[in-house]
Amino acid sequence: MVDLPIFLFFSEKNPPRIALEICDDIAFWPGLLKDNLPDITADVSEWAKKGEMEWGADLIRVYLTSTKKKHFSDFPGIKKVIDEILSGTTLPLIIEGSDSPEIDSDVFLNCGEAGSGERLLLGTAEADRYRSVAAAAIAYNHAVIAQSPIDINLAKQLNILLRETGMPDNSIIIDSYTGALGYGFEYSYSTIERIRYAALKGDDDLAMPIISSAPDTLGVREVRESPPETKYETAIQWEFGTALSSLVAGASIVCVRLPETIKLLKTAIIDLSSPSVEDI
Amino acid sequence: MALKALDIYKLLPKKNCKECGDPTCLTFAMKLASGKADPDKCPYLDPQAKEVLGSSTKPPVKPMRIGVGERSFRIGEESCLYRHEKTFYHAPGFFLALKDSSGESQISTIANRVEKDLLVRAGQDLRLNGVAIISDSKNPETFGSVVKKVEELVSLPEILISNDPKIVEAGLTYCGSYHPVIHAATRENYPEMCRLALKFGCRLIISEGDITKIPELVNECVKIGVPDLILDPCVDNLSDCLKKFTVIRKKAVTREDASLGYPLYLDTGRFKDRSGSLYLGILKYASLIVIHDLPEPVEKAALTLRQGIYTDPQRPIQMEPGLYKIGEPGKDSPVFMTVNFSLTFFTLQGYLESSGVSCYMLIVDTEGLSVLTAVAAGKLTDTLVNETLKKADLANIVSHHTLIIPGYAAPISGKLEDETGWKILVGPRDAAEVGTFLESLQSGETK
Ligand code: SF4
Repeated sequence: MVDLPIFLFFSEKNPPRIALEICDDIAFWPGLLKDNLPDITADVSEWAKKGEMEWGADLIRVYLTSTKKKHFSDFPGIKKVIDEILSGTTLPLIIEGSDSPEIDSDVFLNCGEAGSGERLLLGTAEADRYRSVAAAAIAYNHAVIAQSPIDINLAKQLNILLRETGMPDNSIIIDSYTGALGYGFEYSYSTIERIRYAALKGDDDLAMPIISSAPDTLGVREVRESPPETKYETAIQWEFGTALSSLVAGASIVCVRLPETIKLLKTAIIDLSSPSVEDI
Repeated sequence: MALKALDIYKLLPKKNCKECGDPTCLTFAMKLASGKADPDKCPYLDPQAKEVLGSSTKPPVKPMRIGVGERSFRIGEESCLYRHEKTFYHAPGFFLALKDSSGESQISTIANRVEKDLLVRAGQDLRLNGVAIISDSKNPETFGSVVKKVEELVSLPEILISNDPKIVEAGLTYCGSYHPVIHAATRENYPEMCRLALKFGCRLIISEGDITKIPELVNECVKIGVPDLILDPCVDNLSDCLKKFTVIRKKAVTREDASLGYPLYLDTGRFKDRSGSLYLGILKYASLIVIHDLPEPVEKAALTLRQGIYTDPQRPIQMEPGLYKIGEPGKDSPVFMTVNFSLTFFTLQGYLESSGVSCYMLIVDTEGLSVLTAVAAGKLTDTLVNETLKKADLANIVSHHTLIIPGYAAPISGKLEDETGWKILVGPRDAAEVGTFLESLQSGETK
């Protein structure tokens, strides 16, 4: 039997990392954040800076939500946003480009160029639309997130497709999609375990780090319908429970949106990495 | 070593007399092979065969019932390390901690909370399970009187926590007949604690931080005659918890060490990080979890996580195909079609509800596959959607004959339009965007 090398996952050398998710157009972001952190969310570079200096994130993941606007065409604007964030933080960046295939190519090329030399992590490649993002990543030496819907075989397939475009293995991060707690999270949890397990058993096609983000978390019914006094705390616990479970399953990067969750995760990761009192 | 069903069958009497509760010896053998039956149920098994079977067919983690009556529950019986290998069977019991130094009102608050708190999710009642009464006063009389008070208020499974057999005995005077769990037997006190466990028919928790010493203590207790043990490896940080619990469970399921084949106990009060240790305990093998303070948000998240992790992963929760209402839809309300994968269903339902627009959801049976997978696998077809549409009698329910389909189903939109004669609108790929989509729909932008 192969063990999940719990002893390695949480070694001090390579602990799991926490990414703070932010966006460049708050109109497409859960209302909870606007209600609780109104001054921060207006300025994306300030937001990133806070993430690094005050909240203790290890990475910043920017969703270019501005590209969701109808008939978006301000591609030079993307560069400006990325430049601003890069000047605001020294943390590694994950850039989530468009999610409509028509503008993919323009968006990703602009992201790639703007972050040239920064070794960005670009998202998101999917089975039916991975070429634009892969091309941008290869051209500017960035890594990509390969997202597949909660299925170990689809994750594997996508990695193989990406490899065929010329993406090196050390530039692929697996995102097997994480459903929110109570909304299918357990499927995601087991898929992460299975992918990690398969890699440890020697499957090269799955031997890449895993990133996990449960983007629907702040909008689940349990959070929405909580009384005002406990709403924010419920959101924190929903994020924390999901992210902690994902990293216990084997994720290397977990993504969250609330500063308090980062704090809880940091404490938990340190505690998980602490050397055992006895060698077992 | 685990035996195969056919090997086991060879050892059975082959009378097919049904006395074991199974129709044939072979079906009984199959149950034995998967650890789901007890060899003792066959009265005709010869002693030698029994011994061979006994050690290899018993579930690697000993099953036992906690408490009596309506709120009692089962733990143990687990047989794997990862839920995808098979499933996790019995969810951990959550016990709220109650110190015997607490005042009258606190006692009733805690006891009543465990009795009444209820979260209904996906058709299941999710509850806290019991009360863990802790001897803080170190006084037998005080402890006894608190146990008595709890008994008067509620009938719930209990854990009595003290290392002093006299104190535990004082509690057992009031609740002994309900078989509470005793915490804990240690290297120092185990003979006395075993005596109490035997006398009152209690489950006994063994508390020992050095896991190499646990087997010895287990064997001593078994020798004295206490069969139902639970292990407390005294962990107080997440790293230790993950490591020790994993090692113990692994040695149990591989049958490397039968003396570790017992359920595990976790006290979150020993941790800095109380919600984190609770979540970790749910994921990693705890069967009884004592919780000291439980803010409502943590309670909800923990109950939800526990439900998910203990759902059989082989059987994806599928939704019943058909028509579902959001709000109070009428003849003009939009209709969203999607698949019967529960994750897709609940996510879309959530976003539709928060949009505040009344509408219908038409759920198509893709055997639990997500939209993307169903389209790729050819399970989401125009004929299937049309059949569902007809069965739901949608043409008589709405007047507009327009169907909104998920963004990922765009490849079938043309065919679907031909097959159904309905107008097909391709919605967003991401359910999070249905709110914006509905707005643009209402302002007449999406045509
Ligand atoms: S009780 Fe024993 S002999 Fe009778 S059917 Fe069951 S296994 Fe066979």
